[in-house]
Amino acid sequence: MATATNRQSPTNSAAHARSIRWGSNRTQEVLAGYLFIVPAFVSLFIFLIAPILAAFVLIFMRYDVLSPPEWHGVKNLSQLLSDPRLVQIYWNTLRFVVFATFFNNVLGLLLAMGVNRAMHSTVKYILRTALFFPVLTTTASLALVWNFLLTQDRGVVNYLLQQIGLDPVPWLSSSTWAMVSVVMFDVWRACGFLMVIYLAGLQAIPDVLYEAASIDGASQFQRMRHITLPLITPTAFFAMIISLIGAAQVFDNVWVLTGGGPGDATRLIVLYIYEIGFKRFEMGYAAAVSLTLFAILIALTLFQFRMSRRWVHYD
Amino acid sequence: MSTIEQTSAQRKPASRFRRPPWFVAGEILIWSFLIIMAIVEFAPISWIFSTSLRNPSDSFKLPPDFWPTAFHWENYLAVINSPQINFLLFFWNSLKIALIVTLAQLLTCSMAGFSFARLRYPGRDVIFFVFLSSLMVPATVIMIPTFILVRMVGLLDTHWALILPATTSAFGVFLLRQAFMGIPSELTDAAKIDGAGYWRMYWQIALPLVGPALSALAIFTFLGSWNNFLGPVLYLRSWDNYTFPIAIVMLNGYMGTGNRAHVLAGVMISIFPVLLFFLLAQRFVIRGIAVTGLKG
Repeated sequence: MATATNRQSPTNSAAHARSIRWGSNRTQEVLAGYLFIVPAFVSLFIFLIAPILAAFVLIFMRYDVLSPPEWHGVKNLSQLLSDPRLVQIYWNTLRFVVFATFFNNVLGLLLAMGVNRAMHSTVKYILRTALFFPVLTTTASLALVWNFLLTQDRGVVNYLLQQIGLDPVPWLSSSTWAMVSVVMFDVWRACGFLMVIYLAGLQAIPDVLYEAASIDGASQFQRMRHITLPLITPTAFFAMIISLIGAAQVFDNVWVLTGGGPGDATRLIVLYIYEIGFKRFEMGYAAAVSLTLFAILIALTLFQFRMSRRWVHYD
Repeated sequence: MSTIEQTSAQRKPASRFRRPPWFVAGEILIWSFLIIMAIVEFAPISWIFSTSLRNPSDSFKLPPDFWPTAFHWENYLAVINSPQINFLLFFWNSLKIALIVTLAQLLTCSMAGFSFARLRYPGRDVIFFVFLSSLMVPATVIMIPTFILVRMVGLLDTHWALILPATTSAFGVFLLRQAFMGIPSELTDAAKIDGAGYWRMYWQIALPLVGPALSALAIFTFLGSWNNFLGPVLYLRSWDNYTFPIAIVMLNGYMGTGNRAHVLAGVMISIFPVLLFFLLAQRFVIRGIAVTGLKG
């Protein structure tokens, strides 16, 4: 970012000098500037800005899609306070987000550090392919496959557990284990993505630092503690924010794997919003719930930014 | 990337200098962690492949195969030729939507990115700030209003409902603006002095220089669209319009659990193109994530 702005200032002054010499071109440049952003801006306005504004109107409406929307006052908002399922579902979402973000980031970082080591390029290629592969595949199909694998009676996972002398686990039918399965599936699917992000961060650390440290006699552990970990914190900060926002919006994962069940045990907030809107047809209330999620995500992101001053080292 | 691999290879002799026992223990620990994780990540994929080749009546049989022991390729033919499920149509639907969305985003994002990075006009930075802040809005918030909008203009159950909302992305605009900022300004200035118009400056001079960012955006947009699940669930109603991911999930419900080998063959068909692509273009995909990941 800093280099970008540094680079920009000479551009600006050059363009400025030019605009004096080529005075008539100035209007052309302004016109071209606007025309170039028209396609993106129109699309962004219709499908992002307008819907956000509409959401704020919608929370005061009752709209079931079939009959025209009618004024509903603050009833949608008071429903938020009296919806007992919402508490349970936010509690599920919180647990899911915390565990998924934690394990994804820890495993992602460890895998990146492992893969970043000096090794034969074929081995590296195979490892990266195996570890990254689930990221590329449709979540819905993979969730379907895990549904097969985790079945209690004839499931592959339970079969393997029994082979090593453990009891079969009710992966999808017990409410405690279902949440474990959903988190496990998400970590299995997404930790490869975080690995690649951390890998990019690790490769951006200058080798000179490690060389200097080993000349000074630093052990491998000391190099990791005093070079790798501090310098990976900006990447870790970025990775944690995107994995948290992503985890809070997981949908196809639970839709296919558990359908939110048993009971409400694995119903996450986006699945609930979907059901309010498209099963119960309470669009106004669905918009109200989605705005609570928006508010929570903004608050969490701001909180992370504030906390980041304590642990993120920018050079 | 290759230079980094080389330098870390050069580093190796230095650490070989002294090798205390804990070093060996550490190596064993690290390698077993990597190998176990690789197996855990890949075993389900190889289970899908092996089971999709089993005789359908054996598909529930234990012990499971993690390596193909039977080769019933006719399962794949059964899925492709099935009279009720037009698999090739679903494949084509997904491909068509993903291609249109990717091309549209490459065009709109690179045009806007070029404008933000290279042209000067009043209000530019304010508009760019609007783009940036819209990055923070989760898709869930706009899900309901967008659905109402799509329904109002009569695009429900058409592919336009999936294509039009995805014709641009604030993320892509940001990514390409950063890439255009990195081009030496002498190049565009020279083009201008030579009398090139702005379109030509963008299309012939600037665009060819931001190849890596364009390919990163293309990869992510394509994969995102190809794997999109919530969109089709919301907008598509009729069987013929379904895209691949939703068709596979429906295939499971439709054929029931009796034909697991067929369902898994369907899953495998959706995996093959991605696998092939990744094996060939691994370097680009990983660099793409690195490029995009660090610009945040």
